[in-house]
Amino acid sequence: MAGSQTSETVATDQRSILSEIASFFTSVKTTITLLFLLASASIVGTLVPQDTSLDQLRQTASPFMYRIMIILDLPTVFRSWWFILLLILLSINLLACLIRRLSAIPAEWKGDSEKASFRFVISDPRPGSELKGVFTSALNRLLGAPSAVSGSEEEAGLVWVKHRVHLLGFPFIHAGILVILLGGLVGLFYGFRGNIQIEEGGVGKEFVLSPSGEVRPLPFQIAVDKFTLTRYATGQPKEFRSDVRLIRDDKEVLKGSILVNAPLTFEGISLYQSDYRLLGIKEVSLIFVGQGGQQSDLKVRPRETTVIPGTSYKVRLHSVDPGTTKKGQGAEIVVERPGEEQQIVGVFRNEPARLGDSEIRFVDYTPLYATGLQVARDPGAIVVWVGCGFLILGFFLTLFTNHRSLTIAMQTRAGSTQIRVYGRSRRLRREFREAVEKRIRTSLSKKEK
Amino acid sequence: MTSTDLNTYVTFGYLAGWVVYLIAFMAASKDSSILKLAFRLLVLIWVAHTVAIGFRWVESYQMGIGHAPLSNLYESLIFFGWTIGLALIAARLRFGTDLVVLLGLPLVFLTMGSTFLLDHTIKPLIPALQSNWLVAHVITCFLGYAGFAVSFVAAVMLLVARGSDYLGERLPRAQILDEIVYRSVLVGFPLLTVGIITGAAWADSAWGAYWSWDPKETWSLITWLVYSAFLHARLARGWAGRRSALLSVLGFVAVLFTYFGVNYLPGLHSYF
Repeated sequence: MAGSQTSETVATDQRSILSEIASFFTSVKTTITLLFLLASASIVGTLVPQDTSLDQLRQTASPFMYRIMIILDLPTVFRSWWFILLLILLSINLLACLIRRLSAIPAEWKGDSEKASFRFVISDPRPGSELKGVFTSALNRLLGAPSAVSGSEEEAGLVWVKHRVHLLGFPFIHAGILVILLGGLVGLFYGFRGNIQIEEGGVGKEFVLSPSGEVRPLPFQIAVDKFTLTRYATGQPKEFRSDVRLIRDDKEVLKGSILVNAPLTFEGISLYQSDYRLLGIKEVSLIFVGQGGQQSDLKVRPRETTVIPGTSYKVRLHSVDPGTTKKGQGAEIVVERPGEEQQIVGVFRNEPARLGDSEIRFVDYTPLYATGLQVARDPGAIVVWVGCGFLILGFFLTLFTNHRSLTIAMQTRAGSTQIRVYGRSRRLRREFREAVEKRIRTSLSKKEK
Repeated sequence: MTSTDLNTYVTFGYLAGWVVYLIAFMAASKDSSILKLAFRLLVLIWVAHTVAIGFRWVESYQMGIGHAPLSNLYESLIFFGWTIGLALIAARLRFGTDLVVLLGLPLVFLTMGSTFLLDHTIKPLIPALQSNWLVAHVITCFLGYAGFAVSFVAAVMLLVARGSDYLGERLPRAQILDEIVYRSVLVGFPLLTVGIITGAAWADSAWGAYWSWDPKETWSLITWLVYSAFLHARLARGWAGRRSALLSVLGFVAVLFTYFGVNYLPGLHSYF
């Protein structure tokens, strides 16, 4: 009865759909297709600048291109639904292939599979028991001692198995990739990243989340006690560091320094020295030379009035010249004395200022920086590193070990021994066969002389 | 003499070595002593190249800003040339094909020669580059790239041989070329993997993010995906000869884009 469905046909259809799906996900063709799709998607993600705002997009792209970019999430390719779908498909593919391979390993480990890379047969008049010793010493340098020696006068056997651990190469590589993807997922859900800018001497309480821009409070306060910038003779930055104290509930919980490539971590949250900003002037260092020639330090800070020691002069900082003229670096200060008019006095490195019978010399100015820190927490990172370890171990096993086995079965009948040699090698099969055959035949011909 | 001078001599040394190789190839028959001599000359030049790199390392310490010579475009190009030289020598020793060396040397000469237009002063390392991960990351990445370069040279030869009978007779057997295409990727791929991992470790210690999908990182992943496809196609689907050679060429294009192309990617305000 064509066209009607019985319970049998329904079951067959269901089974074939399931097996279709299974074979799709265990197929390497699927893998290769997914790899190319991911590569192409990633290329798009580098050609279209990521994380640009919709406004900028609307202004710079044609209306048609704009619509396409919005529909396909092109400014956020790597978080888009279809990219994540590709990653999910790849993960299922990886898992399916991994399970399939893992289920076959126990049998291969025990040596149950019969496949041989090569086999050949020789005969020799000597009995199996004597030949056992001949072959053992002939193959000792190539394969070491045999794993199994068996038999009697009539039926003797030698088995070598080397580097079975090679079987774990594939699983470690592919499990490693799965673990890395898993670590990325954990980081995506349970981690966060953001940045904070804190003026030297100030305290930071909240940070800006990336990429949303949302402002979030920190679980502790960051007090920047000192920010130091050192430069090379060429002027390039050599090192910049923030000396900070972490404060929670008015108590100091951690004190330390943050340098580039040397973060500070507290309770899973890490602070990274990312950059710095110039906010203004911290202070100007001058030297006041009094009437009698005595020198004293004079430090002037913005928006502060400083009294010159031993005088009735009061000075305020007006401006700083970073060195625009031949006079060199310098500062303009507002000087006043009770009963006198204010005057603005310029003090330069190459041109000190005279104040009555005294002199003011310029030493240096110290910039006021704000330190730029990255705040990050990624509980998935450790998972990713474990995955990377698996990956590297897997490569090591795959490339530097070679699962080989050799079986020599000897049957002695009527004064002649038939020697059957079976060999298997996962890699470099031709080289293995040649090495084994050469040693066996040489060892046999030697005695016969 | 500075290390830069030595690099210049080495560059012309490679050119001269290439000319000698060419003459030896045209004039002599296979297995001739001239070819062996040409190869030994190449090894000598490569050793001088190694000395030049070490010399620059020492020079930086003498200037008080000591660091491995891997920190800018000039230094990375010099190092890339060195790794390709190493890979060509290894391929010649393993497979005996002088023609791969002959066609691969121009890559070395071009890489080294392109440095003539660049700023070669030794500069101190800015804070972001002051990390031990730098050395591990740059070395493994470039060794990986060198393996891919050799695969590329053999792949091009294989494709050309298939396209022309005349050349096909004069080029090494397709089987050997195919082996080189495959084996050099087998060397390059794990090295690139370690290169990406050490890069991620460095990014993590510098910025707290082991992966940010920035163009450079993403393109290194694209390269990795293409060579991964190459290995899967080869090992599990039996792709060989022409098809795998094409994938090797595609992979090397990705390598070049990862190394140079990313610098030309559109900025914030230009689209397609």
